[in-house]
Order: sequence, then structure tokens, then C-alpha cells
Amino acid sequence: MIPFDDILAGSGILFAVGTFGVLTRRNFILLLISVEIIMNTAILNFIAFSAYAPGPSILGVTGQAVAVVLVGLAATEVAVGLAIVLALNRVRGSVDVAKAMDLKL
Amino acid sequence: MTAPVPPLAYLPEILTLVAALGVFLLDTLGVRRRAAFGAWTTVFLAAAFVSVLADLGVPGLGGLATLPSSYLTAGAVGPVVFTALGLVFQAIFLSAGILVAFASLSDPDDEVGIPMFYGLLGLATLGTLLVALSADLVFLLLSVEVTGISTYVLVGYTRRDPRALEASMKFYIIGALSTATSFFGASLLYGAYHTTSLATIAQGLPPDASLALVGFGILAVGLGFKVTAVPFHMWAVDVYDGAPSTVSAFLAAGSKKMGIFAYFVVFVAVTRLFAGPQGWPLYIALGGLAVTTMTVGNILALQQKTLKRMLAYSSISQAGYMLLGIAVDTPSTLSGATLLVAAHVLMKGGAFLVVAALAQIGLGARIDDLRGLGYSHPILAGSFSVLLLSLAGIPGTFGFMGKFYIFAGAIEAGGLFILLAVVGLLNSALSVFYYARILKIVYMSDEAPAPSQESGAALHRSLTHSSQGVASPPPRGIPGLGRIAAEIRAAGAARWIAIVAAAVLTVALGIYPTPLVHAFNAAATQFWSLGY
Repeated sequence: MIPFDDILAGSGILFAVGTFGVLTRRNFILLLISVEIIMNTAILNFIAFSAYAPGPSILGVTGQAVAVVLVGLAATEVAVGLAIVLALNRVRGSVDVAKAMDLKL
Repeated sequence: MTAPVPPLAYLPEILTLVAALGVFLLDTLGVRRRAAFGAWTTVFLAAAFVSVLADLGVPGLGGLATLPSSYLTAGAVGPVVFTALGLVFQAIFLSAGILVAFASLSDPDDEVGIPMFYGLLGLATLGTLLVALSADLVFLLLSVEVTGISTYVLVGYTRRDPRALEASMKFYIIGALSTATSFFGASLLYGAYHTTSLATIAQGLPPDASLALVGFGILAVGLGFKVTAVPFHMWAVDVYDGAPSTVSAFLAAGSKKMGIFAYFVVFVAVTRLFAGPQGWPLYIALGGLAVTTMTVGNILALQQKTLKRMLAYSSISQAGYMLLGIAVDTPSTLSGATLLVAAHVLMKGGAFLVVAALAQIGLGARIDDLRGLGYSHPILAGSFSVLLLSLAGIPGTFGFMGKFYIFAGAIEAGGLFILLAVVGLLNSALSVFYYARILKIVYMSDEAPAPSQESGAALHRSLTHSSQGVASPPPRGIPGLGRIAAEIRAAGAARWIAIVAAAVLTVALGIYPTPLVHAFNAAATQFWSLGY
């Protein structure tokens, strides 16, 4: 079994990568991918931690079930995000977040 | 653990779901009129509201209750729990939904995506109702997401307005980031507790307390985006500004308050568990979050030139007061935060509807464009003034009660919390300044509103909207019935009624809040001792 601390370190690194991407990327699609990386960190954690559930191994099923639900949630979110960016692209002709900046003082 | 919940106990949620799905069904059947969709949504949300009140045991509605009252004290049943405070919040969320659904009957009839608006409004309300039932971390975050995904689309539902679409995009990015971060926090908590049930989490610390503390911290950040806590507030102003005003009203009144209740559910028990020396990071984080949120929100609100951005920043500072109630974490402050949330639905929902009415009347979006409103549209201006005074927390309005209980509770709790209360009071005084400035412009200057001179988007907006409103100087004197009728026609009848009703309720509940305060105190005390 993978040591508990290694799981934490791995998910921490992935989380940092995703956050860095969200903060630096200007292309909407790449932003989406960065957010998905963070989401996948959570999914990985749920699966990995389910192996550590005390008692009979069936108890770990919570984490695995949650992981499946989260995969569905992530897909839903991406679908909505792409719909928004399609509409925005039709109006503005660009998916660059930095160019869509009308809402200022 | 009790027997399975009877399906009819979920009647408010079922009615809300019917409201949402029925709209989509009517759409496929070829219904095109806004009045049909609006009436459908309003009626079903109102029915759900009555059902929640009956479940709460409001006198006179007892026969309609579908939830056996034993469940109100039974604790968690699987992933859900019925608490009196949860039902109170459900009633608050539903009143926000009803206010917005009813007022939007006055929006133009030829708009694109009318069924989308009402359907998504219903689904977003459904998510908020489910949050109020959560007794499980994953159930809670999924319910938050039901509202989240609906509102991302709701902001840009017109699909033509570039400003609304930009707001929608920003809201989506931040919302998705917030969800992912919250789930990451929840996954760490799952690692520490080996369960996602809040009933277990509320009972004590796991062996690996530091992992749990990190998890709670990350969860606080993720949910902090939802409640627009500073420093996670940057999106809120742009979104409230760019979204159609009716949608802004729902975002400020409904979906943000859902975040507050999510904070309740997660942190009320936790702040107690970490009360020892181990917990000081959490206390400082929550208290600091509250203080920076109210201060930064107020200071930035002072500098705003457009009404919507000012309201957005004041909304942020109000979230700070509510977070203060959670940081202090006594039954009294929880009850105060709930009162403030209830008041905020009326105040902020009503204020954003006023912005929508002003746009229809043909006044610009800047605060200076309100000049002379007190004479040209006396009742609208009067209601708006009442709502602003209530936002400022003037005694005699509903907005005062919530703040009073929060600050009184913080002082009672003693220690460093007195400092928090003092900062809160100073902030409250500061906020009077920018609300009073608007009142001054509305009443003290009697010139007709001049066309706005500003360049860019503001100019464009004022050019497109102010074609009718500036023709004649407003008449002075006591309003006759004819002028009131003209005002109602100009502002949109349903919207005008909603605004006046919000203002009247704000005053009525400010003058006679006793039954409400008693009910909220009892509910908050029970919630506090249960912890989730």
C-alpha cells in the first residue's frame, strides 16, 4: 500500500500545479483544464483515502462512490463552461480572458 | 438513528423541483408568454414556502405540515437532517426566489430565454433548499453545486449581452475553482475522519487533528468564494454589475446566503472542537475573515460611482457581519446572523430590483443620475430610502435587529471578541456615510437628472436607457393618484409591488420583530447544541 504521507504529498503537488495554472493562464480552455486538475486532486484523494478506512474493507466504499460522483460533476461543469465560452466567443470572437474585461470602474 | 423519512417530508423540495421542471415542460409545449412562466414559478415557490412554514409549526398552518415534528429533534437521518434553523433558512431562500420570480414578471416580454430564466431560478432555489438539509459533507457540496451550476448560466441567460456573458464567465471560473477547492478540503477531511458524515465530524477531533485542521482551512477558502469573503471577493462585484439586475438580486439574496448556511453547517461545531490551544489558527482565520470582509467591503463601497457596484460592495461588507456571527459562535450570534440574512434578502433583493426599475424608467446607472428621484418618483424613492436605511442598520428597521444580536453576542462572549464587536460597530457607522450620500442625492437636489457625461460603457448605457426619462423637470409637491399610477407604470407593476412590499416588511419587522426573534433564537440554540 502507498504510504499515507506520499498520497498527501502527491495531491498537494497536483493542487499546487492546478492553482498555479488558474492564476497564470489567460486562455479560457487552459483555465478550465487547470480547474479540472484541482478537481482530480480531490478525486484521487477520495480513492486513495478509501483504502485507509478502518474496519472491513467494504467501509471504504464511501470514498470510491464519492469519486465516481465527482467525475460526473466535473463533466457537468466542463459542459456548462464550454457552453458559456462558446456564447462568449460568438459575441467577442476570442476566448482570451484578459480581452474580456469591460466590467471595470 | 430513526426510521426512514416519509417521502412527503420533502414536499417543499418536490414543489420547487416541479416549479423548475414544469417551466421546461411548458416551454416544449409551446408556451411563449412570460406571464405564464412567471406565474407558474411564483405559485409553486409560494406553495413550497407555505409548506416550510407549516413544517416549522407556524400557528394556523399546522394542518398543512408534512414533516413529522419528531424529525426536527432526531438528528441526522443518513445524509440529511431536519433542523428548525435549516427550515428557517429554507423559508428565507424561498422568499428570495419568490421575490425575484414575481418581480421579473415586469421584465420585457420579448426577451430571449425567458423559460431558461425561470427554470434555472427554480433549480438554483432547489439547491439552496438542499443545502439547508445537509448532514453530510459531500451532500452539502453537491447541493451547493446544484445552485452554482444553475446560477453560472443564469447570469448569462440572455446570450447577447457581452457584459452579462463576461460576468457569467468570471462567475463560472471562480465558481468552478471554489468547488474544486472545497472538494479538495473535503477529501482531506475524509482522509482524517474516514467518513463524510457531519454528525461524526461534529463529535470530536480525529487522531490526525492537524490534517483535519488543514482540511477545514481549505474548505473555508472554497466556501469563502461563495460568501464573497475578502480576499475571495474580487469576482462578486463584476458579476453583480454585469448580470441582469433581477439575477443580481437573486445572487445577493439567495445564492450567497446559501454559502453562509454552508459555513454554519461546517464550522459551528468545529470552532468549538478546536476551542483549545490547538484551534487558534482557525479562530484567527474566521475572525480575521469576518473583520477584513466587512472593512474592505465598506471602504471600497465608499468610492463607487455606479449604484450596482456600490450595492455589490455593501453586500460584501454585510457578509462580514454574518461571518462575525459564525466566528463568535454562540446561540445569540447565530440567531443574529440568521436575522441579518433574513433582513438582507429583503434589503438587498429589494435594492437590486430598484436598480432594475430605474433602468426601465430610463435613469442612468450612476449614483448621480438619481438626482431628483425623490420628487419624480416619490414612492419608489421612499421604498429605496427605507431599504438603504435598513442596510445601514438604523434602529427601527429590520437590518438593525441582526446587527444588534451579533454585536451584543460578541460583547457577551468577552475576550478578543469585544474587539471584533468594536470593529463591527465602527464599520457600521462608516457604512451610514455612503448610504446617506445616496439619500442626499435622491432628496436634496431637485434638478432633473442630467444625461450622463461619462465615457465608455456607462455612456452607452445611459444613451440607450435615458431616452424617455429626462424630458420634463419633475413636478414637486404631494403626489396625486395619477402620478402614482404613472410611477407604477414606469417601474413595472409587479416589480413596483415587490419593492414596496420589501420596504414595508423591512419596517414592519423592524418595529415588531419579537415573534420572529423568539423563533430564530430557539432554532439557533437547538442548531448550536446539535452542531450541524
